[in-house]
Amino acid sequence: MKRCTHCQVSVKGDWDRCPLCHQELEADSKVDSMSPYPDIPLRFDKKKVIQRLMLLSLLIILVVFTLGLFFPSPLGPLRISLFGIMSLWLVALIIIRKRRNIAKGIVYLIVSTSLLCVYLDYMAGWSAWSTTYAIPIICISAIIAMFIAVRIVHLKVGDYILYLLTATLLGFLPATFLFFNWTTWAFPAQLSLLMSMLMFAWIIWRHGKDILTELQKRAQI
Amino acid sequence: MGVKQVKQKEQPKQKEWVRLDNASNIFLAAMSTTDTKVFRLSAEMQDKIDPISLQKALEQTYAQYKLYHSVLRRGIFWYYLQHTEIIPKVAPEVLAPCSQLYHFDQKELLFRVIYNEDRVHLEVFHVLSDGTGALWFFEDLIKEYILLRYPESLDEIKKEQIEAKVRHLEDSFVTYFRHNGQQSFTESAQSALRNFARTSKRAAFKYGKKFGRALLTDRTVPTKKRRVYRIKGEKTADNRTKVIELEMPVKKILHLAHQEEATLTIYLIALFFESIRKSKSDFQIRDTIAISVPVNLRQFYPSNSARNFFSTVKLEYTYTQERDPQLKEICASLAKQMSQQLSKESLERRLSRLISYEYNPINRLIPRPIKDGVLKIINYSNNRNLTVAMSNLGRVAFPQSIDGYVNRLYFHTSAVRPQFSVISHGDQLTISFTSPFIDTDIQQQFVRELTSAGVEVTLAANKTQADELRGDF
Repeated sequence: MKRCTHCQVSVKGDWDRCPLCHQELEADSKVDSMSPYPDIPLRFDKKKVIQRLMLLSLLIILVVFTLGLFFPSPLGPLRISLFGIMSLWLVALIIIRKRRNIAKGIVYLIVSTSLLCVYLDYMAGWSAWSTTYAIPIICISAIIAMFIAVRIVHLKVGDYILYLLTATLLGFLPATFLFFNWTTWAFPAQLSLLMSMLMFAWIIWRHGKDILTELQKRAQI
Repeated sequence: MGVKQVKQKEQPKQKEWVRLDNASNIFLAAMSTTDTKVFRLSAEMQDKIDPISLQKALEQTYAQYKLYHSVLRRGIFWYYLQHTEIIPKVAPEVLAPCSQLYHFDQKELLFRVIYNEDRVHLEVFHVLSDGTGALWFFEDLIKEYILLRYPESLDEIKKEQIEAKVRHLEDSFVTYFRHNGQQSFTESAQSALRNFARTSKRAAFKYGKKFGRALLTDRTVPTKKRRVYRIKGEKTADNRTKVIELEMPVKKILHLAHQEEATLTIYLIALFFESIRKSKSDFQIRDTIAISVPVNLRQFYPSNSARNFFSTVKLEYTYTQERDPQLKEICASLAKQMSQQLSKESLERRLSRLISYEYNPINRLIPRPIKDGVLKIINYSNNRNLTVAMSNLGRVAFPQSIDGYVNRLYFHTSAVRPQFSVISHGDQLTISFTSPFIDTDIQQQFVRELTSAGVEVTLAANKTQADELRGDF
């Protein structure tokens, strides 16, 4: 055991300096004592993470501005780089926060990426590419992705079924685009509708009871 | 993860769940990556821990405590504890102290049992149980472990039984009393307040009506404007809790407390206040230091529920410009506040308020995310009026025949602000400081106050920074 002559304490473990006053410890060879707290490596170092992400964000700005010199865009490099950084952070945050629940993560990604596309379309003067292509395609691929993902990671039905249902219901959203005539080409939205209908029928047929059980449990007043 | 969990082959025939009580919801609202709302009870044994005996002891204890067979789930209106067949596995210590136990999207047990060298740790998520409730589980775990690891202790127990029948009967009564509430999952997972309201003479509906009145009458009205000092600092690199653990002989420190005419708890709080005042350069004269202290309600209202059954008292001291106060003065002021807040009327009011909140019908119809949001705001405003916190689990004794196998006990909790936790066993007192910050100036001042008064202190700390872990320290 070592000793801090300033604090007058005996210190357990392999410290060279006092954990309290940070002054050098003196060897006290009477008893050798290990630290009861094993060295646990850092999961992350906040300072480093922030430094790297700041660097990455600066890099995005630099690249966008350089590209802007050669390929001028109606949005302007400032808006594009802001959008790029925003999307990067949003998607990274969702993936980190929802890493333990793939199904829920996918639902969050559908909503956030769709909103980002609408925002970008709006900023670029609204040519309806987001409602014609982006959102229907995101919905279709999300349903397929979730269908595959829950099988790969062997999720229990009760744990993902409500999210699969939510994703399927979100797939009906492009119907409103068709109704209000917000599309320039109807096919992607129609395909999304068809996929959602098939998936919905399959879920109700196979898992109707599970959905009821989950809803009863989760919505208990 | 700290506890590897394996699932049994057979699934339960019907799922059982119990809605989480309102009082426990605050822990979920207040939980963050820094303050995980996990607390740890540790026992230092005589020898290196044998994981096989510990696993057996854990399985035997686990079978007796149905409450611990819980996972926490989220519903639209409520959180609920759901019965699980997961079998806990003891694991070596590979995570930082009081690491997160509950993740919103995972079905995990709400406690873990880990070991390192000669120490056994039980870490519990506060939603499941409070310190006293967890201590029951921990004591039984340690007893089982000692009986398995040191079979000779069994012979001694038999001798002891003959020698002291009465004491043993008392002990069995305690054991019976504790285990009686642990028979079924739904019974053991039921809120302590509901159990209490049901079994007490007062009918539950009475409390529902009282809700409005309690809300109106039980607000503490601030008498004058005062600035509650709040400690700020640089947080640890990966949000882990900084632990500084002190061991000392209990007699010496009790003597110091008695010199100041105070109980141990009050003396330690006063010493902590003084350490803050002396060590913090931004502390201004006329600042108030406020501390939150949990009070075990079981000591006033008998309950065998292992669920949360406590209330907190807030003690404060405002420094004045005239002169530095004597420790005795601070102790006297704190003791007065403590006895006021623990008076029969005040306790009745607290309990009524807690129960009325639990039975309030409006609460039922508010969706969970909104309740969470409201509780977060309440928690935030509560935190603004607190400087520090402390918790004292008191003296713990095992049956005489096995008591000698345990060297020391330790207790600490995750922390959103600097705090300390106290527990004693035999002639040894341990004080564990936990903090989200890397600074150790308050702890240093506290230790120096003790050592200069002649207390022999042994210190241990965990490493929280990259340079410490690299060995530059």
